[in-house]
Amino acid sequence: MAVRRQAYEWRNVMPIGQKVSLNNHPVLKPNQVHTIALSKDIPIDIFVGNIGNTLDIPAELKAFQYIVLDAVAVSHPTIHVQIYVNTTRYFENPDGTVSKGISGNIVPFPNGRNGILNYDYKNGLNPPLYIAPMQTWGVEITPLEDIPEYTGNDVTDSNIAFCFVKYLLIDGVDALVAKALIDAGWELSVENIQKYKEIILKNHILAATSELPPTISRRKRRV
Amino acid sequence: MAIRGELYEWDITGIDINTINDLPTAGQEYSIFSTEFGSAIEQTALVSEGDFIVINRISCKEGVSPNEYELDGTTLTKWNPNMFIQVVINTTGYYRDPQNLYSAGISGMASPYPQTVYRTKYYDLFPPIYVLPEQTWDVRFTLFNDIRGAYADGLFTDVANNLTIASVFVDYTLYDGTDAMLARKLLSLGVPVTVDSVQWLRQLILKNRGLDTETFDFYLKAVREIAKKRKEQRKLQGVATISDYEP
Repeated sequence: MAVRRQAYEWRNVMPIGQKVSLNNHPVLKPNQVHTIALSKDIPIDIFVGNIGNTLDIPAELKAFQYIVLDAVAVSHPTIHVQIYVNTTRYFENPDGTVSKGISGNIVPFPNGRNGILNYDYKNGLNPPLYIAPMQTWGVEITPLEDIPEYTGNDVTDSNIAFCFVKYLLIDGVDALVAKALIDAGWELSVENIQKYKEIILKNHILAATSELPPTISRRKRRV
Repeated sequence: MAIRGELYEWDITGIDINTINDLPTAGQEYSIFSTEFGSAIEQTALVSEGDFIVINRISCKEGVSPNEYELDGTTLTKWNPNMFIQVVINTTGYYRDPQNLYSAGISGMASPYPQTVYRTKYYDLFPPIYVLPEQTWDVRFTLFNDIRGAYADGLFTDVANNLTIASVFVDYTLYDGTDAMLARKLLSLGVPVTVDSVQWLRQLILKNRGLDTETFDFYLKAVREIAKKRKEQRKLQGVATISDYEP
């Protein structure tokens, strides 16, 4: 399973009295949940931001992994989502300064929330973002206005903040193919990885079935 | 029926619930094939030696907030499962989190079932998952809303028969017989296994050899040539046995 379509989903809903759930989503009970308040203009890392369901360590690629990040989505509509690789932010303003990213109006999650469907950015990042071995990456959300804590019956799916990221994880032998594709200037996509492997295999089959010159094929084996 | 587009649907509805033991524990992973809950079959899915499977899509019921339940008296009539699904091939989980650890998988918010006009999928399983002969595959669900705890706490005493508590949908293509052989051949050639590519290979084979009445003679000649070459090779390498020197 060397090329895998992966996804990660972050939420700010937690059991009462709890702010963070490490490495998995929390188990929720009716009438015993709340959402974590999010402050205006304060960015939160969805992997290691210590709010909601997060991870122990930042997302760093191993030496034999590539990632092709092709979609992010977020809600509420007033939350913006930004991607970073090492210290570089992906989305910029026209003047070259780092922006807060794209909003939940452009990329709503779940698709269709509050009647908004993703028609504006349905193909995701184009071209997609490649993350190379040993690079650290992450996703940040920034609310443009304060999002209050919801409790009791106000904790509904339309009040929970979400962030979703979808990517292609390429590891093992396919990471070598990915490197060869990047070196050759090809786009890193599922189709191109398959095409490249097809070409390699075809060449090997041809090489195995072709006749060797007699000087080689009839040469005595030296021991 | 050599290539079949198969759909499998698993669910737990109110009809399945008689006691607390009929409800899954929250946070725990269960197989949709071999679980004791809901409409499961009784065996894990083993791909037999003559089959080849391509999993194209998995989805599950949407809904996160446990507070969006509804009651009719003490009967539960609406419930959000907050569920995730994971695909496991033999002992390997398909989904990992960004720190490379086994994760609960994909949620019903990203890949909802059923899809509606207002709720469409964000997640496409592409490239699809190939399950090879002799491999076992499984789809496992985890509920993160504690319906069992809610029942134990007395939130409800009964579940409406028409309420679907959790559901999973799997869309896969089953290749069997000669089509499974063609699928494996395509895989070994590095060509993606799709219905079109398998049919294309079949057409190619038929065009090249299948309608030729001298097929047997062709293969006989080819096998003899290969045997002769190998015999010669063994002699050159000094590993020939007495039978290699027989005419």
